[in-house]
Amino acid sequence: MELVKNSHPNGAIGRGMRMGRLGLHVVGSYLGYQLQNLLLGSESREERHTKLRRNVSRRVREELAELKGPLMKFGQILSMQTQMLPDESIEELSNLQMRAPGMHPTLARAQFKSSLGRYPEEVFREFEAEPFAAASLGQVHRAMTRSGEKVAVKIQYPAIRTAIENDFKLLRTATLPGRMTGHLPVSILKEVQRGFLEETDYINEGRNIDFLREALADLPYVTAPKVYWDATTDRVLTMSYVDGLTIRDFLSRRPPQEVRNLIGQRLLEMFLFQIHCVHVVHADPHPGNYFFNLEGHIGMVDFGCVKKYSADVSELSRCFIDRSWTNGEKQVQRISRLLWGTPQFSRRAKTREMLRSVSEFYDMVYPPPETRRSVVDFADPALLGALTRNFQEAVRNKLCNAEFAFSSRAELGLYNLLHQLRSRVDTRRVWSGVVERLSETPIEPLPAQRR
Amino acid sequence: MPTRTSQHRPASSSRPTSGRRQQNKQKTKQVILKVALDLFSRKGFYRTTTKEISRKAGIAEGTLFNYFRTKEDLAMYFMEDQIAGLIAWFQGEKPLQRASLAEQLFAIIHRHLERVGPYEEFVGAVYLRMLQPVSKLNPLSLDTQALSLRYLRFIRDLLAVAEEREEIPHMGDIGAYIFALFHMAIITYWLYDQSKGKENTLALLDRSLKVAVSILRKGGWNW
Repeated sequence: MELVKNSHPNGAIGRGMRMGRLGLHVVGSYLGYQLQNLLLGSESREERHTKLRRNVSRRVREELAELKGPLMKFGQILSMQTQMLPDESIEELSNLQMRAPGMHPTLARAQFKSSLGRYPEEVFREFEAEPFAAASLGQVHRAMTRSGEKVAVKIQYPAIRTAIENDFKLLRTATLPGRMTGHLPVSILKEVQRGFLEETDYINEGRNIDFLREALADLPYVTAPKVYWDATTDRVLTMSYVDGLTIRDFLSRRPPQEVRNLIGQRLLEMFLFQIHCVHVVHADPHPGNYFFNLEGHIGMVDFGCVKKYSADVSELSRCFIDRSWTNGEKQVQRISRLLWGTPQFSRRAKTREMLRSVSEFYDMVYPPPETRRSVVDFADPALLGALTRNFQEAVRNKLCNAEFAFSSRAELGLYNLLHQLRSRVDTRRVWSGVVERLSETPIEPLPAQRR
Repeated sequence: MPTRTSQHRPASSSRPTSGRRQQNKQKTKQVILKVALDLFSRKGFYRTTTKEISRKAGIAEGTLFNYFRTKEDLAMYFMEDQIAGLIAWFQGEKPLQRASLAEQLFAIIHRHLERVGPYEEFVGAVYLRMLQPVSKLNPLSLDTQALSLRYLRFIRDLLAVAEEREEIPHMGDIGAYIFALFHMAIITYWLYDQSKGKENTLALLDRSLKVAVSILRKGGWNW
C-alpha cells in the first residue's frame, strides 16, 4: 500500500522531481550556451541566443502543461506579461492559453460521473466527447440540454485540488518564485494560493457568474454565461454557451480600427465599472477568457478568479486618475500604505519617487486635461513598459500589498489585451462615464464565501 | 453430472437436453449471484448468511450448496462473470477500438471499477482471500488459471494491436502480465481511496498509464 501511495502522481515528491528536472533543463541549456560562448566566436551569438531561448521556452511550456495546476497558471501569468519576457517565450507560452494536454473522452466521462453521479449522455441530449477548449484546471465540452439549449460543460481534471496544495507546499520552499520574478513575498504566495484553491471550486465560480451576470446587466454589450445549477458541482460547471471569436481569430479577420477602438473602450469601461461600481473584478484577464465579434460585442468566460475588493482599491485607482494623491503629506502616506502595505520607506523622498512613477504611468493611461491629449493609443509599447517597470520596482523593493496581487493581475491583463487589440481609447471620457454611473444606485455586494 | 435417464438416451437427443440443463444451471447461478450481490451491498459480505441467499433466490439451502459450495466459489463465479462482461463490453464499444492504448486500458480498469463499485466490501473481502496461498482465488491457483488466461489473452491481443500501430514496442507476453499486476494494484488503491467520488483513483490511473505508454514509446523498454 505504501508503495502505491508513494507513486501517486499528485504526490509532492513526484512533482518536485519534475520541477527539479525543469530547473535542470533550463540551467543545463544555459550552461551549454555559456560553454558555446567560450568556444565559438561572437558572430552568431545573437542567433544562438534566440535559438536557445526558444528551446528553453518550449521546454518550460511542455513541463508546465504536463504539471497542470498552478504552475500552468504561472505560465499563463507570464504569458500575459508580454513585456517581461523575450518574444520567443511569449509565443510559446501564449499557446498555453487555449490549449493544454487534456483528458481523453473516457476520463472526461469518468470524472463527470464521479462528480455528478450520472454520465453526460444521461444528463444532456447531446454531449461532444472531444473538448473544444482547455481550461487550466480542466477542459470544456460543448453539449445540448434536454430542452435544446447550447451549453458549455467545464470538467475539472481529477484530484487537481490535491495537486495544487502539493505545488504550493513546494513553491513555498522551492526557489522557483524567486527565480521567476526576482522577489515574491510569502503574503502574495498565500494570496495566490487562496485564489487558486478558490478556482478549483466550481460552485464558487457559478456564484461568481450569477453575481457578475447581474451586475454587468447594465452594460448591454457584455455577455456572461448563465449557470445550469442542476448540472453543476464543485468539479463540473455547466453554463450557457458564449459565442464569439478568440482574440487570435478575431485579429486574424483584420477588424477595422473603429471596432478595435470600440472594444477597447468597452473593455476599459467594464474594468472601471467593476472596480468602482461593483467592487468586484474578474481577475483572470488572460485573453482566452474573452470572446469578441465584429459588432464589438464582448463575451466573458472563466469566472473562477473573481476578487472582491474593499473600497480602498477603488479609492486608490481614483487618486491616481484624478491625481489627488499629491494633496499633502498625509495623503501620500495613506496612499503608499494602501498601495504597498505596511512596510514604509524610511525616506519620504523615496516614497514620493515611487508614487510619482506610478502616477506617471496613470498619466499615460489617463492623460491629464492640460495635455489636451484625449485619445490613448494602447498599441504603444511604452505604456506596458512603464507599468512593468513599476511592477519590477515594487517587487525589487519587496513592496506589495497582498490585496493588490489580483487587482494588478487584472489591470495588467486589461492593458495587455488593449495592447494586442491596438485600441485607441478616449480614456478620460470612459472614466467620466463611470463616475456618472457611480451616482446611481449601488449594487448588492457579493455574498460571503461558502467555505 | 449425468443421470440414469440420460445414460439410456441416444447421444443425438441428449445433447440439446444437457445444453438446456446447462443453460438452466447458468440461469440459476446468475440468479443466486444477483441475489447474493444485492444482499452483500445492503447487509455486507460478512453478515450475509447462505440461508438468506437461498431464501431470497427461492431455492433450498441444499440446492445452493450444489451450485456454490462456499462463498469462495461464489466469489470465483463473480470474478469470472466480471471479466467475461468486461471483455464483451470492450469489444462492443466501437469508439474505443480506435482510441489510444492509454485510453483503452484506462477504459478497461475504469469499467471494471464501475461494475464492482456497488460491492466494494465484497471486492475487499475477495482481495483479502486472493492474497492467501491456500485460497483457490489466489491468482496462481489451478482454479483461477482459466480465468487468468482468458484475461491475459484479451490484454495481449489489445497490446498486439497497439504494437502494430507502433504505439508501443513489441513486448511479448510480459506486457499483459505487467498490466494484470497494475490492474490489481489499482483495485487495491481504489479500495483504500477515500477521496470524493474516488477521483484520486482516476488521476492515478490516468497519469500512470500515460507515463507508462510514453516511457514505452520513447524506447525506455530495452531487453
